[in-house]
Amino acid sequence: MFKKILLATSATPASDHAARVAFNLAGTYNAELNIFHVLGVPSRGFSQVVVDVKTREKVDVDDEYLFGVTEEIKAYYGKYLDNGPKVAIDVTVGLPAREILRQAKAYEPDLILLGGSTGDADQSVYKRSAAGSTLHKVAKAASCPVMAVTRPAASFWGGMSNILFGTDFSKTSDKAFEYALALAENMGCELHVFHALDIAGVQSGKLLDQDEIEQKIRESLRRIRARYEVRLKGLKSYSMDVWEGIPFIEIVKYARDKHADLIVMAHHSRRLASEDTRLGSNVEQVIVRAGCPVLSVNK
Amino acid sequence: MPQGIYCNRQTINTPDEVNKLLSDTSGNNYYQEMKDLDVDRDLLWKTIEKTCKSRMRTWLEICAHCGMCADSCFLYEVNGRVPEQVPAYKIQSTLGEIIKKKGNVDNAFMRRAMKVAWAECTCCNRCGMYCPHGIDTGIMFGYLRGLLYQQGFVPWELKIGAGMHRAYRAQMDVTDEDFVETFEWMVEEYEDDFPGLTVPVDVEGADIMYTVNAREVKHYPEDLAEAAILFHLAGENWTVPSKGWEQTSLAMFAGDWAACKMQVESVYDAMERLKPRRMVGTECGHAHRATVIEGPYWAGRKNGLSPAPAIHYVEWLAEALNTGKLKVDPEKRIKEPVTLQDSCNYIRNHGLKKATRDIMSHIVAPGYFIEMAPNKEHNYCCGGGGGFNGIGKFRKERNIALIKKRDQIIDTGAKLVIAPCHNCWDAIRDLEEEYEIGIRWSFLKPLLIEMLIIPDHFKPEE
Amino acid sequence: MHDFLTGPLFWIALFVCLVGSLTRFVLYFKGLSWQLDRVAYTTYPQAGAKGAFRSIYKWLIPFGTRGWQTQPFITLGFFGFHLGVILVPLFLTGHALFMESKVGFHFFTLSVGLGDFLSWTAVVAGTFLLIRRLVLPEVRILTTWNDIFILLISIAPFVTGLLARYQVGDYGFWLNMHILSGEVVLLAIPFTKLSHVFLFFASRAQLGMDYGIKRGGMKGTKMAW
Repeated sequence: MFKKILLATSATPASDHAARVAFNLAGTYNAELNIFHVLGVPSRGFSQVVVDVKTREKVDVDDEYLFGVTEEIKAYYGKYLDNGPKVAIDVTVGLPAREILRQAKAYEPDLILLGGSTGDADQSVYKRSAAGSTLHKVAKAASCPVMAVTRPAASFWGGMSNILFGTDFSKTSDKAFEYALALAENMGCELHVFHALDIAGVQSGKLLDQDEIEQKIRESLRRIRARYEVRLKGLKSYSMDVWEGIPFIEIVKYARDKHADLIVMAHHSRRLASEDTRLGSNVEQVIVRAGCPVLSVNK
Repeated sequence: MPQGIYCNRQTINTPDEVNKLLSDTSGNNYYQEMKDLDVDRDLLWKTIEKTCKSRMRTWLEICAHCGMCADSCFLYEVNGRVPEQVPAYKIQSTLGEIIKKKGNVDNAFMRRAMKVAWAECTCCNRCGMYCPHGIDTGIMFGYLRGLLYQQGFVPWELKIGAGMHRAYRAQMDVTDEDFVETFEWMVEEYEDDFPGLTVPVDVEGADIMYTVNAREVKHYPEDLAEAAILFHLAGENWTVPSKGWEQTSLAMFAGDWAACKMQVESVYDAMERLKPRRMVGTECGHAHRATVIEGPYWAGRKNGLSPAPAIHYVEWLAEALNTGKLKVDPEKRIKEPVTLQDSCNYIRNHGLKKATRDIMSHIVAPGYFIEMAPNKEHNYCCGGGGGFNGIGKFRKERNIALIKKRDQIIDTGAKLVIAPCHNCWDAIRDLEEEYEIGIRWSFLKPLLIEMLIIPDHFKPEE
Repeated sequence: MHDFLTGPLFWIALFVCLVGSLTRFVLYFKGLSWQLDRVAYTTYPQAGAKGAFRSIYKWLIPFGTRGWQTQPFITLGFFGFHLGVILVPLFLTGHALFMESKVGFHFFTLSVGLGDFLSWTAVVAGTFLLIRRLVLPEVRILTTWNDIFILLISIAPFVTGLLARYQVGDYGFWLNMHILSGEVVLLAIPFTKLSHVFLFFASRAQLGMDYGIKRGGMKGTKMAW
C-alpha cells in the first residue's frame, strides 16, 4: 500500500510519535522514507538570515549549517536508521506548510506523516511566521492522504484491528471511504462507519427537539446504508452508527468506545463557509484530541 | 592588495560566482579583504567627471548649510539627533569630500562612505521635500552607492543581490521554469476553491501583464495564487511572461547600474514580445521604482516610459474596487483599528497616495482607519528601505531605524498595519519581532480575498 | 573715493553680477542631462513647467510648504532676512534716486517707515541666523568660515546703511562703506553661495520638473515639492 512515505518532522519530541509510525510503516511495507525537516523561516529581507526553529536564533544558513542540521537529525533518529530502511534526509528553509507541500509535489509520496503541534502560539517560531496551522494547510492541499500522529497511544501500525471512518456524506468523504475500505481490507480490520449529527452548529441558538433529533438519526443511518453498505459486505466485520452532538467531540468519543486504532476522515480541499477559522475544521479538532492517529484524505 | 578573492571590483555574473560569494558565511572573508582593497582613484575621478554634472554639482555647492534637512530625516531623529546624522553633513562628508579631493581618497574613507551610504540613508527622498533649495540628498546617496559599488565597497548581501540579477534576472536563484511551475502549482492548489482559475502564460495582447517579486515564488507562493484569484474574480484578461517576470532590483540598492539596465530590459523585452495593454506589478515598492519610474532611463528610453504603460498593484486594485470589478461585502470589512504604511517608492516618489486611500475606503469600515502621523508623501521610511533590511553588517543600525515606524504605529493605536510593499512588510515583521508591540501586518491581497463578494458563477459547486 | 564707488566700481560690480549670474544660470540648464538625471525634461515640457512653477512659488510663500511649517523659527528668520534683502536694495527711496541718476528710471519706492522696518528686520533676522548657526548643533556641524563670511557680508550693507541713515558718526564714511559692501555682495553673487540668488530658482525648477514629470506630477497628485 505504501511505497513512498514522507515524514515531515520538527526533529523534536513533538514529532516522535509520527516518526515511530513512519519507521514502522517503512519497515512493514519495505517503503522508501523521506525525512523532511524545515529548519527555519527566512528573515531579514533578502539576507541569508534564517530564524532557527530550535534555538530561535537568527543564523546565517550556508551549506555547512545545512549539513550540520542533517547530521543532527541522523543522530536523533539513530536507532531507527540502524535497521537499514531506505531513508533520505532533506533539510530546507522556508515556511513549513509550503515547503512540505513543495517536497510532496516533487517526491510524490503515498502518505505524508505529520507530528503534533510544535508548541503554543507564543513560543513557536513556526507559528509566529505564518498565519494558520501547518496541518491545516498541508491537509487541505496535499494530493495524497495526510496522517497526523499527535499522541503516543497506539502509534504502532500492524497491531491494528479497528478503523473508524467518519463521513459527512460529501464527495470527498466518499473518497476517504474508498481509502478506509482499502486499508481495512489490506490489514484485515474491522471498519466502523460513523456520522456525527451536528446539532449545535446548524441551528445556532435553537436546540432541535428530541423527536427531530431521532428522526435525523434515522435518516442519517439510512443514508449510510444506502451509500456504503454494499461496499462493506466484503469485510470481515463492520458497523454503522450515528451519534448526535458536536461532531469532533462525538467522533473522538466514538473512537474511544470502539477502541479505534486509526480514524480516517475527509479534509475538504476548499474552504467551507461553516468553517470557524479559529478552530479549524472538524478534522483538525479530531486530530488534536483523538487517542489514535488520524488520516485525512482530500482527493 | 589590489583585489581579493571575495571582495574586488569584478561583478558577479553566473550562478557559480553567486554561490561562491554566498559560501563566505556572513561575508566574513569578504569584509576582511575589503580592509585592504585599493581605491582606483583614476576610475573614480573619471567616472565623476563623466556622470556628475549640473544638477548634483550645484546641489553640493548651493547647500546653504542651513540644517533644515535634519528634522526631515528619520535616521537623524532615532539616532539621538546627533549632528553627524544631518543629511547635508552625511552627503558633504562623503560625496562632497570625494569631489573636493578629486577622487583622491583612501580605503578607510571609502569604507566609512559605505557605512554612511548604506546604514545612514535609505534613499527615502524625504529630505528633498524639506530643503528650501530642493536638494535631494537621497538621490545623491544613490549616486554615491554607484561609485562605491564600482570600486567594490558594497555590502556583501548587495553584491550577491546584484549578482543574482545578473545571473538569474531575479533577486533570488529562481529560474524561469521555477516561476511558471510554481505559479501553475499554486493555481492547481486553489482550483477547488475557485473553479476555472488559471494562469495564462505568454498570452499576446492581453489587457494585463503581471510581474512579481522572486521572493513570492521562493517563499510566499500563496501571493501568486492570490493575485491570480483577484484577476480571475475581476474578470481580467491577464497573463504572465515566462521570461522577464521579475520586476525587483536589488541591483538598484547596490548601485549596479549596468545590472539595473539588464534587469529592467528583461521586463521590457517581455512587454515587447507580449504587447499587453499595460503591465501591473505586485505589491512591491522598489520594484515599481526600478521598473516603472527609473528603469526607462537606465534602458535609454528618452520619453521616460516603459514600452507598455505600467502601474503599481495598488493602482489596479483601486481601479477594480472603484469601478466595481471587485466588490467588497460591507459586513466583512475590517472592523478593528488599522493603519496604512505609505511606501516611499510609490507614495512620495510617484504620488499614488490616493490609490491606497481609495482602497482603504472600500475595505475598512468607517471610523477604523487611523492615519499615521505624518502620512502620505510626508510619511517616514519603514526603517528597512534601500536594502537596509537585508544587510547583516548594519543590522544594529537597521533595528534602531525601525523605532521611528514603531512609534508611529503605536501612536495610531492600530492592531493591524497594512503594508502593500515587500520591504515595508518585512520591516514591520522585524519590528514586531524586535519590539513586540502586539500588531499584525498584511499585504492587501489576502485581506481582499477574505472580504470579496464572489459572484455565483465563480463559486464551486456544492 | 565716493566717485569711484558710485562710478566705475558700480558698473563693474553690476556687470559682473548680471553677466556672471546669467552665464551660470544658462550653464546650469545646459548641464542638465535627461539620462544622467533620469528625468524626461524635454518630452513633457508642460508637466515640467507646471512642476517647476509649483516648486518655486510654494517655497516663496512663508509657511507655504510642510518644510516651512514644521520649522517656524527659521522660517521667520529666513523670510525676515530675505524680504529686507530683496525689497530694500530695489525699492528704497535712496536707492531709487541713485538708480534714476544712473539709468534714468526707478521702480516704486517704499515709505521711510517701511524701509526702516525692513532694514532693521533684516539685521535682526540676519543676526538670528548667525547665532543659530553657532548655537544649534545640527547647523554648527555644517557651518564653515565661508558660511559665516557670506552672512556677514550680506548683513554689512544693512548695518552700514543704517549707520549712515541715522547719521551715526561720519556720514560720508559710512555711506562709502555701505556702497562698498553692497558692491562686494554684487561681485560675490556669481562666485559664492550667494549664487543661490538665481540658482535657487534653477535648482527648484529642476526638482519641480523631476517630480512634475517623473515622480508623481503626472499622476494628478497635489504634492508640494
